[in-house]
Amino acid sequence: MIWQILREAWVSISAYKMRSFLTMLGIVIGVAAVVLMVAAGQTVQNEITKTFDSMGTNLIIIAPAETVSGGVRGGRGRPSVTFDDVAALRELPDVETASYVISTAAQAVYGANNYGVSIYGTTPEYLKVGNWEIEDGMSFTEKDLKSGKPYAIIGQTVVDELFGLQNPIGKTLRLRGKPFTVIGVLKSKGDNLMGNDQDNIVMMPATTVRQRLKGSNRPQYADIAFIKVTQEDRMESVSNRAEFLLRQRHRLKEKAPNDFSLHLMTEMVEKVRQIGFILSMLLAAIASISLVVGSIGIMNMMLVSVTERTREIGTRKALGAPNKWIMLQFLSESILISFIGSFFGMILGVLLSQIGGALYEIDVPISIWSVIISASVAIIVGILSGMMPARKAMKLDPIEALRYQ
Amino acid sequence: MTQIVIRIEDLCKTYFMEGGTKQDVLKHVQFKIQKDEFVAIMGHSGSGKSTLMNILGCLDRPTSGNYFLEGKNIAQATDKELAIIRGKRIGFVFQNFNLMMKRSLADNVSLPLIYQGVGQKERYKKAVELLEKVGLKGYENRLPTQISGGMQQRVAIARSLVNNPAIIFADEPTGNLDTRTSVEIMNLFTELNKQGITIVLVTHEEDIADFAKRLIVIQDGQISYDGPREDYKT
Repeated sequence: MIWQILREAWVSISAYKMRSFLTMLGIVIGVAAVVLMVAAGQTVQNEITKTFDSMGTNLIIIAPAETVSGGVRGGRGRPSVTFDDVAALRELPDVETASYVISTAAQAVYGANNYGVSIYGTTPEYLKVGNWEIEDGMSFTEKDLKSGKPYAIIGQTVVDELFGLQNPIGKTLRLRGKPFTVIGVLKSKGDNLMGNDQDNIVMMPATTVRQRLKGSNRPQYADIAFIKVTQEDRMESVSNRAEFLLRQRHRLKEKAPNDFSLHLMTEMVEKVRQIGFILSMLLAAIASISLVVGSIGIMNMMLVSVTERTREIGTRKALGAPNKWIMLQFLSESILISFIGSFFGMILGVLLSQIGGALYEIDVPISIWSVIISASVAIIVGILSGMMPARKAMKLDPIEALRYQ
Repeated sequence: MTQIVIRIEDLCKTYFMEGGTKQDVLKHVQFKIQKDEFVAIMGHSGSGKSTLMNILGCLDRPTSGNYFLEGKNIAQATDKELAIIRGKRIGFVFQNFNLMMKRSLADNVSLPLIYQGVGQKERYKKAVELLEKVGLKGYENRLPTQISGGMQQRVAIARSLVNNPAIIFADEPTGNLDTRTSVEIMNLFTELNKQGITIVLVTHEEDIADFAKRLIVIQDGQISYDGPREDYKT
């Protein structure tokens, strides 16, 4: 019986081609929009995850404490973590390594070229902590760090801007008038989440930066320190130990607040992922408004159809059609329309998202969710928007319906 | 012994209007129709003949009284039961044909069989057979819009025969046709009646009623005449 009903429904739909097509179009656009937005949201999440992976996820970041006066946050306080603190942290259990950075910025000059760069004074371990790789040349060593050698490892942007096609290894660039020898080139990382160019970097021993570029009278203090933990599930315990150790080393009294702040990268990743998830849900919610509009379109068409076909309904009833049959026939018409619409909407959405991905050279995932969502949406929308018209058709009195002009 | 197809006893139909007034449309009507009969029901508009037709055709229920169709009292049957009876035992021919304009003639003729669960191939076969019977051989894949009104009514008659009904009800079947076509259609009915099909015809035209053997005249909800056609004098 179901097959017969579906066939009747299909014949009725194809009898009004233009009208059925336009109604379907509403669903096609709605589903395509949802699929597209879900894909967009997922792509954003994937990109976020990728960026964090490029920084390394098992990181604890130690920054200066936030200053709070009278309940108002006043930004970061003065750096309090010393180079020796970081050396001590490196010895904690479950710590793979630890490093720190003192940063500044300057205009880098080579020959006639110059370019504003970020300068990272750090330790050799930073490469591991920050997931950096050396593409060419080599890194500086612990010895270079101790003696404050004027060595520099530069990022890809700096290579392009200053050296062009020349090999920068062994060349000397100038920062604030002082010479530094390029001993290595870093592998490119691209932009970070905020759109900052991560490759616009000059890395050198921290002591070198302190002595030659900053001339700081606050020696041995790191702007920011990093602990790389061996395993993700040890983050919490390492963080607690690090806090205890630092408080001890800074001789903080029991009730004194920390003069530093600890941030777990895993928590930050989780937060950002959550934001990404909320974003994609929001996009899908907005897109589904067009789906709602599309389903109203179906309901409208079905109502018109029932009115227009009143005599047909009357005839069918007179010829022995049970009420249930009439209802199921109209219901299957709306389900068929929304099903076909969803099918093509899904294809359109996937197609558009792949085209978009190709244009921006981003991998856009084809999610199984899109398929599940569009299939279930099709059936739900079909039933919801067909129910009222189908009941209307079912309830028609055959005598009245036959008399209808 | 002749078989009784329809027997109605003391049939009344009352409409209850808004405001509490009631209108008796049929008052204690009774008659029998036997197999192979060709009956014309005549009456002016408002006489109650349409209401009688609707009740006989199982589209409506009487307020009181009994209606035996092939010996079974169906006066108080449910909607669902009535739908089954209409599908299996009754054929309808309407004034305005009521064909589905976007469906082939074969689809139109075989429509009632869908509700009996008959398969597509068998339906088509039966439709071709019946179209031939009403003189439309080779027309099965045409659309109703491609044929004349008289032909459309032939299709409707073929449709009414498709379920081998106990009786055919024709409600003003020539109302939308010209005289010549009307005669053709009535000749077709006469032919079918000769083949053993029971026909009840509702009309207000005397010359159409002339084709029937028996005449029932309804006036103000009551039977004013019931007898052979030729004995009726206006």
